Amino acid sequence: MSGTLRRWIWLGPLLATMLFPFAWMTAVSLAPVADLSLGLPASGGLTLEHYRALFRTAAVSRYLVNSGVVALLVVGLNVATAAMVGYVLGRRRVPGERLWTLGIVATLMLPKQVLMIPLYLVLARLHLLDTYAALVLPFAVDAFSIFLVRQYVSGIPLELEEAARVDGASDWRVFRSVILPLLKPVLAVVAIQSFLTNWNSFLFPLIFVDSDRLRTLPVGLALLSQTEHSVDWSFLMAGSTVASIPVLAVFLVFQRQILSGLLAGAEK
Amino acid sequence: MRAQSPATSWGLLSPWIVAFALFGLYPFAFSLWASVTDYSPIRAGTQFVGLANYGRALADPAFWTALANTAFFVVGTIPFTTALALGLALAVQPAFPGRTFFRVGFFVPSVVSVVVLSLIFKGLYAGQGPVNAALRALGLSAPDWLLDPETALPAIMAMDVWSASGYYMIIFLAGLEAIPRELYEAARLEGASAWDRFTRITLPLLRPTLLFVLVVNTVRSLQIFAEVFVMTRGGPLHRTTTVVYYLYEQAFYRFDLGYASAVAYLLFAVTLGLAWAQMRLVRSEEPTR
Repeated sequence: MSGTLRRWIWLGPLLATMLFPFAWMTAVSLAPVADLSLGLPASGGLTLEHYRALFRTAAVSRYLVNSGVVALLVVGLNVATAAMVGYVLGRRRVPGERLWTLGIVATLMLPKQVLMIPLYLVLARLHLLDTYAALVLPFAVDAFSIFLVRQYVSGIPLELEEAARVDGASDWRVFRSVILPLLKPVLAVVAIQSFLTNWNSFLFPLIFVDSDRLRTLPVGLALLSQTEHSVDWSFLMAGSTVASIPVLAVFLVFQRQILSGLLAGAEK
Repeated sequence: MRAQSPATSWGLLSPWIVAFALFGLYPFAFSLWASVTDYSPIRAGTQFVGLANYGRALADPAFWTALANTAFFVVGTIPFTTALALGLALAVQPAFPGRTFFRVGFFVPSVVSVVVLSLIFKGLYAGQGPVNAALRALGLSAPDWLLDPETALPAIMAMDVWSASGYYMIIFLAGLEAIPRELYEAARLEGASAWDRFTRITLPLLRPTLLFVLVVNTVRSLQIFAEVFVMTRGGPLHRTTTVVYYLYEQAFYRFDLGYASAVAYLLFAVTLGLAWAQMRLVRSEEPTR
């Protein structure tokens, strides 16, 4: 037991230090008067005034809605396409199966920044720049998600599908009624990971969208912090807190799946 | 038994085919082509310029500054991040009450948006911010962290070490879990000290994980962008301009897309080269038996 106590005595302060920036963020967002040097209420009391101001600002509410809509669309499409493609590559025979898998691995290796400019040009050519589609379509099919499902499918016994086929089930029925229910755990990992990535995404939404009404929350906050006027820290920290709550909630609820998805990545 | 129809296979595969062609292969090919032309969407008439864009980058002091800043960032953060991550992993590996609490807690910075982290640290580093308040309380001098050319980049690097270590802690944990318990017990029976067990068992068997962490973290660090965008915009005096920030400026302020494509490929080459060198380095140190 003394070992536990010793561990807590040095890990506790270390964790507190690591989480101090978040405590500071929350404190500034709740303080009536921002006192940057302490980040604590200068003259007692907490206020939600900065949050009210945040949601009263039409632009910021819009960023929040955009972030939510885009994240939901990307997660939905990601889960659907990863299930379809991952199943085919993990199980069914398609000509050039190895080639397709190679394409996926190559995509995983390529830093996204190499494709930043060409993706921008492709979207320009498709007249999709500065639309919701630019925030969704390039991220609707994700190589890493497909890879996760493909690995998972290889571990599912073939007999289950064959039994259904013997009973005369069609391809579609096998996929929908046999495979999809079995894929639930890995699809949960895909959904959570793609939510976290997409909600926090910055570089591509910054480049692909120009109008204020299409901006997502991270881009909106980053640009808000760079106005010519003096920075309103209370407002920014309230916005930062709002931007953090969904990911923190998802993380705390699904920490098991998140960490297991991470480890799957580490083993690839 | 009903046979599988190839049409279904193609149908299920179709999202990947479309996405790979449209958002993978085509842009890749296009950017390779753009990198050997003077392509710009705001100007008509594109000329083939051969390797001139690559030569221009290699002759541009601003590119070298960006590369040097990025290299400084990588070299200055990775040892600290790796050591901190490994230390945390070792601390939270054994079973003890509250273990999950600490694992989850240390991971928190990894799930929050980099923009949010950067905004917070911009506040922490501000002239009147808590970092300087603490320094003044200790009677030390309080620099203007992000406005001083000497301290701006190290300040961003310190934030990176803080924000990245929890993620690599989890990767190290996976590596530690894979080491057979019996090895430690055998060593203990033979009277090996904790330090001996760490250097003779843990470190050698952790080598693949260490390699993975080094490569992944290097590749990630070569792409630092949002921190710079939010905290310093590449300043002061270009002291925080990283390669990707430079790339962004060339492409989206100056619309010099051919040139920027060449810079992207140079960064890609540097990334591959470093990853390869690290793999060689860690492999060659492997004990030969």
